[in-house]
Amino acid sequence: MQPEPHVVGPEESQASDDVLRVEHVAKHFGPVTALRDINLHLRKGEVLGLLGDNGAGKSTLIKIISGFQKPDEGRLLIKGDEVELSSVDHARSLGIDCVYQDLALVNELSVFQNMFLKREPLYKPLPFVNKRAMKRETRRALDEIGVNIPRIDVPAARLSGGQRQAIAVARTVNSDADIILLDEPLAAMGAKEGAMILDLVARLRSEGRVSIIMIAHNYVHVLQSCDRVNLIQGGHITFDKPTAETSVEELNEIVVEEYRRARMAAATDGAGASGNGAR
Amino acid sequence: MSSTSPTGQAPTRAPASAGAQAEGRRRPSARELGMRFLTLREGSIIVVAILAALFFAIRVPTFWTHSNFITLLPYFAPFAILAAGEVMLMVAGEIDLSIGSVSLFAPFMFYEFNQAGLSLVPCLIAALLCSAVVGVINGFFTEIVGVSSFITTLAMLLGLGGLTLIISHAQPVAMPGADVTTKTIQVTHVVNGQQVTLPEKVNETGTFADIFGAGTYSELIWALVIVIGVQVLLFMTRWGTYTIAAGGNKLGAAEAGINVRATVIRNFIVCSVFAGFVGILEATRASTVTPDTAGASETMFRAVSAAVIGGTLLAGGEGTAIGALFGALFLGILRDGLTLEGVNADYLDFILGIAIIVAMVINVYVARIRKGSGRAA
Repeated sequence: MQPEPHVVGPEESQASDDVLRVEHVAKHFGPVTALRDINLHLRKGEVLGLLGDNGAGKSTLIKIISGFQKPDEGRLLIKGDEVELSSVDHARSLGIDCVYQDLALVNELSVFQNMFLKREPLYKPLPFVNKRAMKRETRRALDEIGVNIPRIDVPAARLSGGQRQAIAVARTVNSDADIILLDEPLAAMGAKEGAMILDLVARLRSEGRVSIIMIAHNYVHVLQSCDRVNLIQGGHITFDKPTAETSVEELNEIVVEEYRRARMAAATDGAGASGNGAR
Repeated sequence: MSSTSPTGQAPTRAPASAGAQAEGRRRPSARELGMRFLTLREGSIIVVAILAALFFAIRVPTFWTHSNFITLLPYFAPFAILAAGEVMLMVAGEIDLSIGSVSLFAPFMFYEFNQAGLSLVPCLIAALLCSAVVGVINGFFTEIVGVSSFITTLAMLLGLGGLTLIISHAQPVAMPGADVTTKTIQVTHVVNGQQVTLPEKVNETGTFADIFGAGTYSELIWALVIVIGVQVLLFMTRWGTYTIAAGGNKLGAAEAGINVRATVIRNFIVCSVFAGFVGILEATRASTVTPDTAGASETMFRAVSAAVIGGTLLAGGEGTAIGALFGALFLGILRDGLTLEGVNADYLDFILGIAIIVAMVINVYVARIRKGSGRAA
């Protein structure tokens, strides 16, 4: 339909240390195409920034990688093996964990119960959850990150937006996942709490144990925290460069260019119909 | 109570001192303990139930007697079990209206299996399995097909009630194993130094019946065991945590990797099995069972009321089995106490309705204090 810009294909990156490869993935929701043909790879210890407009399919892609949704086409390779993720649990067993945009916190459960949701330690062989261990671990993990949450036995409903975000991120980082997906971890964060998350990502990046895909809107944050940037446009990855080789200006240019092209296409399509292409 | 202002939603209402000492180990004062008790989710209904008991104890001398306690038991023990099952489901954000019909259906299945030649314990197991199947069907239509549980289980309430009428030909039957047998035994008397042996008649119920409903404390013991079991399950196991998560944030629970469908369907099964069990207990206690579908609906409403009065949210995410037990106890005390007072039967439901509203208002007020005090579920 519209002229496609440079689209990144799977053959362009064949590094052997990829912990994750997404090949030709497509996803439709009824008549809506969220993802057309996604090719993406993530190296060990790398922080990959994922940019794209609202509705470009970033969150859908994240949900496919985290096992929450199944792709209609294409395949995933995790640590070299092709896998068909059957559930979030399955993905997690392969070391993939995700911080969703809606955070997936349960207001009615306490902070420490949320920290260990679906990972509760048990007093084996009894089926009872070990609340003491959960509290101790939660306290330790939160202190390590440096987030200030005075009481961990209160319901999550009583936390501020930033604290909730911090809990969700801490939960994932504290798991034994080695591929971490962060869906807009800086949304709803104050400047201080945002800096805390960025520091955390920087620390994980320097440790090099985990690989991260981070969705963000702020180019400056991406350039500062990530090793490489991918851009999703119209269901394709249209841009793939190390952050060292790109700049805010270049990213801006690409996004604005797409916006202009989309407007021109809309103007051409709509000219016959109502004739109000330009305003 | 009045020193804490009831600022309901304000999330930052935690007392300033509480934060600092939250995890310090220190002995709380008596007043603090009292406050903590009252701010338990079920604290308010416990207080309300005790107040109701005191009220009747003062007004009616026969209320606070052992024989009245025995009279009270069937007014509340079966409803406590039903309400505990309902709590499992309501905490998960769903509701089961079909429990009334299940508690009617199960004893008739019990009877049919017995007619087919099974002995009592296998009959019980088979009847409970039938109840579990009802739970699976409710769960299937709610979680897999996506019909709201209100509609699914309303249809089940009507349909299963009808099926019970068909099976029973609308005729009451005697509950197998619950029949009161009269045995004639030879008793030896010593009369004027001579031994005289005379026949005497003795009434007795079987061991099975004594355990499953007919024994004086049978239903009470079952109620306590089941309520404590549900309480432990809800607050000390993964299943319980996932139940709360499913009711509190269904999407979030799924994103966290919880199998919400499996959790909710399991809870439907638990709720149905409890309902079937209560049906068999009640039928055994009465030694007959009548296919009374209107009575079945009333049973369901009373059980749901007990759960809600006990502090379980219709919206899901919060609720306790202990609260449901005391909710059922409160309703039982009201019914029993008003009867003892000699209140005209016509006024009974009217007063019950008002009492429920008053109890709930107190509940809401105490809940506000609780939110202010900042305790987790």
